Amino acid sequence: MILINCPYCGERDQSEFSNGGEAHVARPENSENLNDKDWGRYVFYRDNPKGIFYERWVHTHGCRKWFNAVRNTSTDEILKIYKLNENPPSKESFTNTLKTPSGEPKVGSGNFTVKK
Amino acid sequence: MSAADNKKSHYINDKEISFKFDGKKYLGYKGDTIASALLRNNVRLVARSFKYHRPRGLYTCGIEEPNGIVQILNEHNEPNTRATVKQIYEGIRVNSQNRWPSLNLDVGSINNLLSPMFSAGFYYKTFMGPKGFWKKVYEPIIRRTAGLGKPPKEFRSKSVHQNHNVDIVIVGGGLSGLIAARKLIDTEYDVLLLEQDSFLGGILKNSNKIKKINNSEVNKWIKETEKLLKASKNIKILKNSLVTSYNFTNHLIALEDKCAGKEIDKEKSELTLHKIRTTQTILANGHIERFISFRNNDLPGVMLASSFEKYIHRFGVVPETNPVIFTNNSTTATLLKSLIELGHKPAAYVDARDKNKIGAKFLNYLKKNDIPFYINSEVEGCDGNKKINTISIRKNKNKIIKVKSSMLCVSGGINPDIHLFTQSKGLVKWDDKLLTFKPDVPFQNTITLGSVSGNYNYEKTIDEIDNKLSFLKAKKIRFNVELNDTNNFNIKELWETKHEKKSNWSKSFIDLHNDVTTKDLKQAVKEGFDRIEHLKRFTTNSMGTDQGKISSINSLGIVSKILKKKISEVGTTTYRPPYAPLSFSAIAGRNTYEFYDPQRKTPIHYWHIDNKAVFEDVGQWKRPWYFKKFEMETMHLAVQRESAQTRKTAGILDGSTLGKIEIKGKDALEFMNLMYTNAFTKMKPMTSRYALMLGEDGMIKDDGIVCKFNDKHFIATTTSGGAPKVLADMEEYLQTEWPHLQVYVNSITEQFSTFNISGPKSREIVSKVFTDVDFSNENFPFMTFKVFDYKETKVRIMRASFTGELGYEIYITPNHALDLWKKIFHYGKAYDLVPYGTETMHLLRAEKGYVVIGQETDGTVTPIDLNFNWMIGKNKKDFIGKRSLTRRDTSREDRKQLVGIVPLDKSEFIEEGQHVVECERLPKPIKTPVEYLGHVSSSYHSPNLNHCIAMAMLKGGNKLMGRKLFVSSTYGNKNIPVEVVSPVFIDPENKRLIS
Repeated sequence: MILINCPYCGERDQSEFSNGGEAHVARPENSENLNDKDWGRYVFYRDNPKGIFYERWVHTHGCRKWFNAVRNTSTDEILKIYKLNENPPSKESFTNTLKTPSGEPKVGSGNFTVKK
Repeated sequence: MSAADNKKSHYINDKEISFKFDGKKYLGYKGDTIASALLRNNVRLVARSFKYHRPRGLYTCGIEEPNGIVQILNEHNEPNTRATVKQIYEGIRVNSQNRWPSLNLDVGSINNLLSPMFSAGFYYKTFMGPKGFWKKVYEPIIRRTAGLGKPPKEFRSKSVHQNHNVDIVIVGGGLSGLIAARKLIDTEYDVLLLEQDSFLGGILKNSNKIKKINNSEVNKWIKETEKLLKASKNIKILKNSLVTSYNFTNHLIALEDKCAGKEIDKEKSELTLHKIRTTQTILANGHIERFISFRNNDLPGVMLASSFEKYIHRFGVVPETNPVIFTNNSTTATLLKSLIELGHKPAAYVDARDKNKIGAKFLNYLKKNDIPFYINSEVEGCDGNKKINTISIRKNKNKIIKVKSSMLCVSGGINPDIHLFTQSKGLVKWDDKLLTFKPDVPFQNTITLGSVSGNYNYEKTIDEIDNKLSFLKAKKIRFNVELNDTNNFNIKELWETKHEKKSNWSKSFIDLHNDVTTKDLKQAVKEGFDRIEHLKRFTTNSMGTDQGKISSINSLGIVSKILKKKISEVGTTTYRPPYAPLSFSAIAGRNTYEFYDPQRKTPIHYWHIDNKAVFEDVGQWKRPWYFKKFEMETMHLAVQRESAQTRKTAGILDGSTLGKIEIKGKDALEFMNLMYTNAFTKMKPMTSRYALMLGEDGMIKDDGIVCKFNDKHFIATTTSGGAPKVLADMEEYLQTEWPHLQVYVNSITEQFSTFNISGPKSREIVSKVFTDVDFSNENFPFMTFKVFDYKETKVRIMRASFTGELGYEIYITPNHALDLWKKIFHYGKAYDLVPYGTETMHLLRAEKGYVVIGQETDGTVTPIDLNFNWMIGKNKKDFIGKRSLTRRDTSREDRKQLVGIVPLDKSEFIEEGQHVVECERLPKPIKTPVEYLGHVSSSYHSPNLNHCIAMAMLKGGNKLMGRKLFVSSTYGNKNIPVEVVSPVFIDPENKRLIS
């Protein structure tokens, strides 16, 4: 269970929070002008990368506020937490801090020594 | 040739304890484990193996035990307990497992004779066919033979959970752990020291490898240290606490056995599960010895050398005074010395190393004490019936010599216990000198100290700890040691000795717990399972409850030899929590039975109980399902009675569970227009409307009635189960998409109790209850509401209908709810007012064609599919899901649409969930798939129409009106002929509603 630093309440256990999936997917205004494909992309398509991921969290069993986080999905490390009205940090600002468990390469998964 | 006491040991005391093993009474000492007590009594045979039912004895002295797993009869029949860990107390009753009729004569051991059949992958290869055999023949047989102990008869919650938030956790109270803790005494850090045993000291008490610390006795130093730790303000010690997992962000789970060495108190919890969050973790959890595979290395009497040493020093029992010692490394020297110092003479000393590695000093010691020793030699195997009789030694790699002895102490080297370190995602590396994996780069704030870090030299321990803890504000302490054996650790690579096959009975095991032989490993590699993770699963190697603690590195050694690869290239399998098995009841803690999930009860709950309600769980709510009027009344009869009476005069439903959300603020109207499909702008104040909420995909998520007080104030109801989700969705959109809207939402579900009274006589009843209010149709039309004073509170009454009848929904604060409920019944008596439950509610709704969200809909249904086009505010610019309703997929005409169906033969009953098809009989055999048109979503016997009515979701249902179709059924092989009709069965003109 990871620790999450709620920007309004402070560090709490993950069990107090809910994950809201990818962040910065804006709801299209004037959706009637979108074709089926573009609207479908908004409704159904979300990214699921290995590595840096910008995502949304909500402090469900706390202040019930939504906020954004940058998480390394291969280590579950939360690299940055920022409020909804703050600008997202650039991807490049994290490249030096990235590490993976068991020295795995940044692409692929599983036990590296075995996969080789 | 039997066990003896170590009179020098501190742990022998006068307190004798009697206990029973397999019904026979034995004596042991206080502090004994089941294992040490049995060894004291010369009991060698303690178990039967998992697959072949071979006789097995105690192999180790701790958590790593693969064989000695027993059932504790007087502790709720607790199975799979490690005899090497569980301490005895007066009256404990222990049974061996996995044998019938007795341990000595076990019928299952026939498997051993049939063993050529049970090779690697036996289950995968054998139970393939013929068809149908799996369910009828194989599964019942396998189920009967699977498992070890018998499950406990009753479940009891045995544990409590406790949270800790500390700066430093030290795992292991052995030499390194104690030094580290001492260095942290009275520092600024909060420290938690966790020790799996009931005492501190670890290796210091388990052996005499260290003679003196600071020039005085070892025990003195331990006592002094414990006293100092206990006196310090910042250090807490938890004994009998085993760390089972090491998770992300330095989160550790430890299980404390509060009844170690005591009889369990059934009134108290037996275990505490500690959930620990720390900044820095210090792993000082030591090492585990590994074995060597040779012929019949599982015979009772074979034991790890260090475990033998532990029994001598920790428990004061020498399991056998003349054992044979077989080693490939230097750690066994102290065992030999201990035996000689106690006046016992080992039968032989077999060392795979050459004389340079062993060292002249030790060889002279062997000669001086007249011990028969064999260097450059190995044990080929051992023979005997249920115990070792003779041991075959291959001297200088050719000549076989036989030695008589009943025990064989084996040491194949030692492994740092990297389990927790790798669980924390630390990286390990292979050490060619120590022949083992040791921690390399930690992933979290983890430090390893002592033998777990690969440092086997006790003289250097203090330097290592000083160095590694230098970044902390730790203290300097005085520490020097005097060793029993000053040789540096050295080892010769040896995983398996050459096997001279004598019979099928001769086996060389790699995993004692799961009965995996070295031959199985070789066969699996031959069959192509050359990846270690595949090999593990195919052979079940190291998949037992001991997780191969004494053998997994050996299997890597053997496999690397076959594959001609380095062990570091073969890699390890993944270490996963828990480190050792823990019972489900420990994880469950107090969250059992009524504490498993909160129960929500309405203010009328106890009235329902008094009136013989049968309850149904809706989310966390307890709702009356139906009311039993008399003892023998079935659910069917009750529901028929309740619904007929409601349509005849009046019925009342406790709807307090309905979700209620209050929406207020400057932009409330705009917000409601966006959240719901309906148009609220033209709606008049103090009116209400049935409303639908969609997801962005256009599918129905929830429904309810929205009351509009004015443009800045709404109250919405939701389904009983959907309330938290609807509120969360509203909050989400307000925060993330429309932060410019000034709107406040609040759950008021529990602030108001709700009653639904419906039926032709309901107006007369409410008029008598609320005499000040004009309930006439002109003054109080359908879908309007009024708020007025009642006693010292306010009541809101809405004219709405759940059932298709004239109805009123009454909202009142919960503290007045029961009074009002009783008052309604007081006046309702004259009209035979009947209380009804959720089942009748569903029936009444179905008769009127009102859908139930979650029954007719399943997350793939749009409002158009339900012919709810009238509810969609098409002129609104936007609402959630609007764009999706015109997607190509959602506007298809052959989507599943809501229809009503009735059986042509009115005496027949349609079952919910059945398929609707076009053919009367299924073709036999079925050559092409029978086209599936849809399913029956709800079905009831209507007492008011006196036949079955059903709703179904049919492909292109709107175009099928009047068609004859068939519904499958579970009884008979004939499908039921039905007619597709409108889903509104009663009062399609809404005369009753607006009367």
